Amino acid sequence: MSSPGVYEGTANAVAALMLLIEFGMLRQALVRDQVRLYAAQSALISVLAVVIAAVRDLPELYALAALSAALKVIGVPLVLRRLLGRPIGEDTPGVPGSYTLGPASAVLASIGLAAFGFFCFGNLGIRSAEAPTTALAIAGAMVFVAFGLMIVRRDVASQAIGFFSLENAISLAALVVAAGLPLILETAFLFDLLLAVVVFAMLIRAHHARAESLSTADLTRLRG
Amino acid sequence: MSAAVPIPVIQLLQVLTVALGAPGVMGVIATVEARLQGRRGPRLLQPYYDLAKLCRKEALAPSGASWFFLAAPLVAVTAYLTIPLLIPVLTTYGLPLGYMGDILGGGFLLSLASFVVATAALATGSPYAQLGSSRAKTFSAIAEPVVLFVVFTVALLTGTDLPYALAATVRSSAGQVIRPAHLLASAALFMVILHETGRIPVETHTGTNEFGMIEEARSFEHSGPYFALLKWGSMLKQLILFTILANVFLAPWGLASTQRLGAVLLAIVALLAKAAAIGVAVAVIDNSFAKLRLFKITEYVSAAFLLAVTGVFTLYLGGG
Repeated sequence: MSSPGVYEGTANAVAALMLLIEFGMLRQALVRDQVRLYAAQSALISVLAVVIAAVRDLPELYALAALSAALKVIGVPLVLRRLLGRPIGEDTPGVPGSYTLGPASAVLASIGLAAFGFFCFGNLGIRSAEAPTTALAIAGAMVFVAFGLMIVRRDVASQAIGFFSLENAISLAALVVAAGLPLILETAFLFDLLLAVVVFAMLIRAHHARAESLSTADLTRLRG
Repeated sequence: MSAAVPIPVIQLLQVLTVALGAPGVMGVIATVEARLQGRRGPRLLQPYYDLAKLCRKEALAPSGASWFFLAAPLVAVTAYLTIPLLIPVLTTYGLPLGYMGDILGGGFLLSLASFVVATAALATGSPYAQLGSSRAKTFSAIAEPVVLFVVFTVALLTGTDLPYALAATVRSSAGQVIRPAHLLASAALFMVILHETGRIPVETHTGTNEFGMIEEARSFEHSGPYFALLKWGSMLKQLILFTILANVFLAPWGLASTQRLGAVLLAIVALLAKAAAIGVAVAVIDNSFAKLRLFKITEYVSAAFLLAVTGVFTLYLGGG
């Protein structure tokens, strides 16, 4: 099989790394480490934006990369860390053991989910001049793994991080399909994330104030 | 000015390089490990002296053990010495015997060696050796799917499953090196090698405490030259796995592309240097991570499995 070329190879490798980091978040027991992984994943998507900007000669992507790095690598992790640091105290390292499945089974189940997402998106047959198709399929896999993360972990913090990384997956897909999208639209997507951060911040605080825990396990009793 | 080496001699040199280099690589790892732990450590050639010492000792067999007990170390070492014929150790071009087996053939030989050693341990009737062989078989069965997926990746990349073909593909362009499938498969293989050579996640390689001994416990009842063969066998296995990682996946450069004497000698030096470099990396990793609990082994292997599966996925849409 012929190799896909250095540019495509780099883009695909960055996308694959993002997928692996998504799995890392699923596997990581401590919220603090999950936040770190989220920052790393966001840094990778900025790197990918810079690569695409350089190779495809799209100068406005540089601005997008800088903006998204400032927001997602520095801003959101900072907010999350403050938010989780204050209510539960520095010595409480998140909610270990909030798994509904064992770690190995969770990873295996998510590999299944990732396969489903990968081949669904791959078979859409979207071809773009801007970035390789495999990266789009990887974005699809990431969306499913992020959903998986929100399902197998029963604590508010993991679910918030799952949601934010879902946004990373969507950004990856947007970069691949429509790298030439006007900057104003891309920025609007980014500000959606800000809205989500505010909403999740309020949810985490409200839930913690009421349940004195970040676990959502006792919410299952609330049925209408 | 340098003369051409006949092909059969090169073939023999492949086996000799692995056979004689393996204890040296082990010595390098032991020294680096000792330095990392703040000890001076044994001299580099210590594994050779150990093997020589064991060969001079008396060989004993437990009463009731069959002929298989003494034959197993010989069979295992023979299997390990056959593998260097199948993989690119010194040359970029396939040697005549190199095509008698593919990657799976090499895998079968590795499994055969480990099978006869485990069976010999069972033949002793000693509970401790049996425990070791039972554990070793269980954990290698867990790691097997990862190896299979790495082989699938190779097969998809090259259309064959010959190690020579993959090495040639990797050498052909920079695009081949950076493609995600190749990187992921290499990373998965590296994780499996750490696991198979008894480094991470649960084993203590040189230890004598029974919880950390899996591979080492199998040879518990052997003594004298037979024990030397088993120890030599595990060193051979380590160097063979390192050779596959270096010469097929990570850095298939520095191999001889002609039959000239200089090129072949350079290839021998390059192979040993690459193996020593991997050994140093392995020792650093081994000493900077805490050992896991025994049952965490599935998590470690599932991470390697994830890498290998992602590699196969990315290939399917032609972008890997």
